[in-house]
Amino acid sequence: MSKALSYEEQTKITRAIIKAAVLMLEFGAESKLIEDIAKRLGTALGVSSVEVSLIPSAIVLTTLSNKQTQSVTTTRRAHHKPINMSIVCDVQKMCIEVEKNKKNVDFVFQTIKNIRPNHYNKWLVVFMVGLSCACFAYLYGSDINGFIITFLAASVGMYIRQVLARKKFVLIISFISTAFVATLIASLSETFNLSTTPNIVMSASVILLAPGFPFVNSVLDAVKGYLSMGWGRWMQALLLSIATSIGIILAFALLNVKGW
Amino acid sequence: MEDIIIKYLLNAIFSAIPAVGFAMVFNVPSSALKFCALGGAIAYTTRYALMDFNIPIELATFLASTLVGVVALYWSRKYIIPRPVYTIASIIPLLPGTYAFTAIINLIQMDVQGVSPELITVFIDNGLKAVIILSGIGFGLALPSLFFMRYNRPII
Repeated sequence: MSKALSYEEQTKITRAIIKAAVLMLEFGAESKLIEDIAKRLGTALGVSSVEVSLIPSAIVLTTLSNKQTQSVTTTRRAHHKPINMSIVCDVQKMCIEVEKNKKNVDFVFQTIKNIRPNHYNKWLVVFMVGLSCACFAYLYGSDINGFIITFLAASVGMYIRQVLARKKFVLIISFISTAFVATLIASLSETFNLSTTPNIVMSASVILLAPGFPFVNSVLDAVKGYLSMGWGRWMQALLLSIATSIGIILAFALLNVKGW
Repeated sequence: MEDIIIKYLLNAIFSAIPAVGFAMVFNVPSSALKFCALGGAIAYTTRYALMDFNIPIELATFLASTLVGVVALYWSRKYIIPRPVYTIASIIPLLPGTYAFTAIINLIQMDVQGVSPELITVFIDNGLKAVIILSGIGFGLALPSLFFMRYNRPII
């Protein structure tokens, strides 16, 4: 059994655990992982149990110690940020390090402070995403012109998405603008008869906005017993899809195109 | 026969690229990128092969994502990285993005032009496909780890 903790020590441990948990929630980890890491960190740092309550926008966390007679509860708001898996991986690695080498609370604070996202070169990402959407166009059966136009449209779209993300715009606005621009460029294939498969070009150029992460996470959360988190993420993903559709429809209205 | 092999190889390559591309958007650690590529190729090729045997797309997607879930479970225990890092990038080529967007655009067209049987048909067709394929992906990815949850211990 864990040794007796003073109230201050326990508060410090609780703060460290919830910091790690909020970081994971903000950058898109699934709920099961967040709860597991919080509990494992708690055990490793010497409290007797950790109880976590998750809602999509906040975390409530209680630690118990001294034979369940002393408890500390704290709440943190989570602001959703663009998904970043390298941060989630770093938090998990830190948890395993704490478990294995019996590190203390200060190590946790120090590590969290030093976690930096692993950013890829932005031009490399633009190129790769453009190529990815072009590959989708190929998989759906487009011709070579369609492949090139999709590449162009998706690359420009991704560039705009990055610029808006850097200026810290809300995700919905950046999704609307990206979908609008990508569809405008892709519809060139129809207005100038550049490709025989304009529908595929237009639908493949906006695939970069498909919110795969929230959708998959929502199902993963729901089947593992985090129903409210599942609904929250489902709603988030749906909102992003609607934003994308608004962008596409704006472009259609501007060009007087009927649709896919 | 050779045609079929070339077709499968091309498909595998063209589905590995999106998996890597989108993994970079999600900032996956660079050591995991090659596994994302492999996972994407496995996912799409499996679905393609199953659909060649006349299995409907929904079931084929479910089976393909279950396979990815199992493979990712093995990788995540070996390299100590959370599973979604591998799985979500890998199933990107399976996502029903086009179906979902078409459904929502149709919904808005119904509002603008008035409801007609054709629009309803297209909406329900695409909407159902999107929702069922998505749940297929989600369930497929979750099943392997649900299998381990009864031990009540972390997977990695």
